Amino acid sequence: MAEDVKPTRKNLMEIEDRIDLSERGHDTLEQKRDGLIMEFMDILDQAQDVREDVEQNYEDAQQTINMARAMEGDVAVRGAAAALKEHPEITVRSNNIMGVVVPQIEASRVSKSLDQRGYGVIGTSSRIDEAAEAYEDLLETIVLAAEVETAMKKLLDEIESTKRRVNALEFTVLPDLYESQDYIEQKLEEQEREEIFRMKKVKDKKEEEERAKAESESESEAAADAGTAD
Amino acid sequence: MSQEIAVVGTAEFTTGFRLAGVREFRNVPEEEKDAELDAAVSDVLSMDDVGIVVMHADDLDYLSRQVRETVETSVEPTVVTIGGGGGGSSGMREQIKRAIGIDLMDQDEGANE
Repeated sequence: MAEDVKPTRKNLMEIEDRIDLSERGHDTLEQKRDGLIMEFMDILDQAQDVREDVEQNYEDAQQTINMARAMEGDVAVRGAAAALKEHPEITVRSNNIMGVVVPQIEASRVSKSLDQRGYGVIGTSSRIDEAAEAYEDLLETIVLAAEVETAMKKLLDEIESTKRRVNALEFTVLPDLYESQDYIEQKLEEQEREEIFRMKKVKDKKEEEERAKAESESESEAAADAGTAD
Repeated sequence: MSQEIAVVGTAEFTTGFRLAGVREFRNVPEEEKDAELDAAVSDVLSMDDVGIVVMHADDLDYLSRQVRETVETSVEPTVVTIGGGGGGSSGMREQIKRAIGIDLMDQDEGANE
């Protein structure tokens, strides 16, 4: 990977800029991941309380409907269930937690009064009313559980993707960039050393040439002097 | 936009919710769960006006791998499983282990014991 890069000063500067940006991105993403985990921990505590409520309410609701079935018969309970007029509805709004859009679910028409339910008061007993009430309570906690569990799922998705990005920067992008930086620095140093060695050689050669020239000049001068003396 | 709550399961399971006013329900008899539960769950999951799907936690075992994965990861609509003594929607525990690196559910269960 590092050897694909041309060892030039321009590339070195570019890689240094990318290292700087990647390091800053890595730190920011690490902070984001830690923040999301803290938010998730808060929601997890809440989720566990809601989950306990759901299980408890489900158990209570089952007991009341079993009692209603035993006293009134299954047909009467189903008949009452089929006669319901009002239906619960939910409205989903969005809430933002550190850039993660989580739902805020509001339920309406879950808890109903006796006359709103729609089945006849005379033909049914209080056992069925109790069962209906217990299931209305259960639906309310289910709506809360849906809100909290969706928020958890979304936060977990975001934590996972942030973690992947942090790991990619930490274990792939940054090591590759450091390797390229080291490679270019080494190559540039090598080129510098070669250049110095070459310059020294050229200088030595020049000095030798000058020395040889000076020697030949002095020899020819000496020869000329000897000629005039004769 | 207002949405509805849907319930999928045996008639025994859905009757109570119908008593609370839920009108979107799919009754799947116990003996036909293997064959029909997948289609019933996929059907309610594909409905735009359903915001929450309620199922019994034990019914997840009857789902095919693909539908179960959809149920576990679905956000819109959210699937809430109840009963079965489970600690919340399944798949969440695995996702927590993957994302956080620690089995937080296990820790909390241990602390509660």
